[in-house]
Amino acid sequence: MNLVLTKSDWAKYPFVPEATEYIKTLDLKVDSLARPEFEPILNRAESRVKEALLTNPPKVSYLEHDDEVELSSFPVAVLIATATADEFIKKRYALAEARRAYELLRNEDKWKVREVAKAFGWRVNVVTNGAPVPRIYDLKLHFVDFLRNVKAFHESNWKLINRTMLNGEVYLTTQEAARLLQEEIRRHIEAKLQAGVGFTLPPNVAKRVEELRRIRRERFRGAPTIKVEFTEKTAVDAFPPCIRRLYEAAVSGSHLSHAGRFALTSFLLNVGMPPSKIVDLFRSSSDFNERMTRYQVEHIAGLRGSRTKYTPYACDTLRTHGLCPGEEKLCQGIRHPLTYYRRKLMASAKKTRSADQE
Amino acid sequence: MTVDRESFIKSKFREFYESSSSRIEAPPSIEMREFGFLLFKEKVMVRHKGFRDVESLRSFLRGTVPLHAYYSAAYYVAPEEPMERKGWVGADLYFDIDADHIPTPCRKLHDVWVCRGCGFKGRGTHPAKCPICGRQSFTEKTWPCEVCLEAARRETIKLVDILSEDFGLSQSEIKVSFSGHRGYHVKVESDEMKGLDSAARKEIADYVTGTGLDAKFHGLKATEGGAGPLAGPHLGDSGWRGRIARGVYDFLLKADRESLEEIGLRRKVVETILENREAVVRSWDSGGPWGILRGVGLQSWKLIIKKGVEAQAAKIDTVVTTDIHRLIRLENTLHGKTGLLKVAFPTDEIEVFDPFKSAVAFKRGEATVFIEEAPEFRIGEEVFGPFKNEKVELPLSAALLLLCKGMAEVAQ
Repeated sequence: MNLVLTKSDWAKYPFVPEATEYIKTLDLKVDSLARPEFEPILNRAESRVKEALLTNPPKVSYLEHDDEVELSSFPVAVLIATATADEFIKKRYALAEARRAYELLRNEDKWKVREVAKAFGWRVNVVTNGAPVPRIYDLKLHFVDFLRNVKAFHESNWKLINRTMLNGEVYLTTQEAARLLQEEIRRHIEAKLQAGVGFTLPPNVAKRVEELRRIRRERFRGAPTIKVEFTEKTAVDAFPPCIRRLYEAAVSGSHLSHAGRFALTSFLLNVGMPPSKIVDLFRSSSDFNERMTRYQVEHIAGLRGSRTKYTPYACDTLRTHGLCPGEEKLCQGIRHPLTYYRRKLMASAKKTRSADQE
Repeated sequence: MTVDRESFIKSKFREFYESSSSRIEAPPSIEMREFGFLLFKEKVMVRHKGFRDVESLRSFLRGTVPLHAYYSAAYYVAPEEPMERKGWVGADLYFDIDADHIPTPCRKLHDVWVCRGCGFKGRGTHPAKCPICGRQSFTEKTWPCEVCLEAARRETIKLVDILSEDFGLSQSEIKVSFSGHRGYHVKVESDEMKGLDSAARKEIADYVTGTGLDAKFHGLKATEGGAGPLAGPHLGDSGWRGRIARGVYDFLLKADRESLEEIGLRRKVVETILENREAVVRSWDSGGPWGILRGVGLQSWKLIIKKGVEAQAAKIDTVVTTDIHRLIRLENTLHGKTGLLKVAFPTDEIEVFDPFKSAVAFKRGEATVFIEEAPEFRIGEEVFGPFKNEKVELPLSAALLLLCKGMAEVAQ
């Protein structure tokens, strides 16, 4: 069965290629946005971005009764968001539009979801009766398309190993497919927003852009970024079990795998240990080579080569490389060894403080 | 390596590359690959080499005669530039199966460790501390033994099965080769895989190693909202469902008291399983054993499943699969630790492939060597050793294996 997306579908999903094609035929020009008959489109475009800034989590509502305005206001909203030249506004707007699409898609039937997915080049099919899998699934998606969109999800039900996969296809419910599509749509819109605005906007449009910037400044001014400073002296006691084990191995001169060395070094650098101290740490290793070790540590610190400072492995990656010795109580609900370290430091700081007061 | 031994090996490697460099073929898009070579001299690694065509690669091998030759699984815009300026375009998907990652019983027969502090020697896996001087550092000598390689083959078969059944890759897309030492390489060169980033490859690595598996997503559950008996996957199910069932089946079929206790089951649970083994085996004809044993609950089944999953998973080196810049040994070049070749073979021949026949590079000539100690081994149809402190004339391939392994010296 093949289904065609109609104009009211385009109003819901204005980023699909067919919708873009249709909008092109309307011959909307930036200059014409100054004309009064385009006022409703411009209003709706502005409200799309504005709503994304004023709601939390960010959303864009779907106005069911005016397909034409819903559809053509989308590219105008993209234009306005781009013109703000503000990365925060762009990211927030892309997320809001993607969430809007998700809310609509999750209530569609599987055939409709498949059509939208195919618009993004997904290799996706409807599950037929008699497939040798549990009956709850509606769609099956090529694993490469699945993996591209699953990165932001950390729940164990999204891990590839916990999916039903057969012949390269990952089985999904309609709702799950919609959730993955949200990611694809978010990236798609973010990419659209990266194009520059190479022309002058009419004054009535520029005014709206300025208004959005004002909202952004007021609403999100100086939002305090939560940051815990690591103490200068690295607190070995606060190391998570994985790092503690690697640290002890290094101190005693036992053999560490490459992945183990990387995990330890990048962690120590991130908790503020100076590179020279880390080099010293590996000194008791029998195959220690000062020049080589210094080079590698400084490389990971971002002082050499590509100049990128590496972030330490997350728990998931430590597990992949067999470096996780198993969870401790404090590990529960934590995805990164640095989080463990920070929490333990904060807990022990609290303890010291209350001890001082007694 | 003494000079004699090293120059002897190098002279033989030179003869090989002079006569047989035409066997070396270009990897797809050779101009986009980085090459690396470990040189005999001072064991230096030369990296960031690029070749426009296979002829220039062959001529480099003839001229340089490296101990090891590698190319990048990655494709770059400018492979000769430093890492940060290479311009990564994509990478083949690689799996490395090495006997070093598989515990085999024979290791304590042929693997030797030497304490770096006092020179004390022992066999098998080295202890945490040297029993004599207390140092925690050892040099290890492994051996490409047939039992270990057989274990690596079993892992490779499991991997190929997962890649074809679950990932839907065809036999022609999955390319298998013997590494020339203690394992196998499996690569997938399709355009599909090229663009996968490290995070996606990690998910694939986790899939084949069974990492992060939670059986509740594969059918293990209490029925009737938690109050009823357990239900679980069945032997004939596809994907990990079936693998879980088959792993549990195999484990419970043979498990004795010790192995059941080892996985952390309570004594009462162990008793119940041992007393009802017959019923457990029969249960697979219907719904499986999940709900039939009183007192064996969800937590116990999870421990049993963990053991089953371990057996069904393929033990790959996860670092190789997730590293998108990895250098991989070049096919049909010599492995400096054995003098054997890295050779590809058709995937459907994996059951019958004989590394000690197909990977032999030197088919003619003899050499006389003094062997300090070596286990029994086979090259082609011929079995040699074990040797201890003796001077022997051997076919060149056998002599080179011992020389490369550092187990023998060239006899004057």
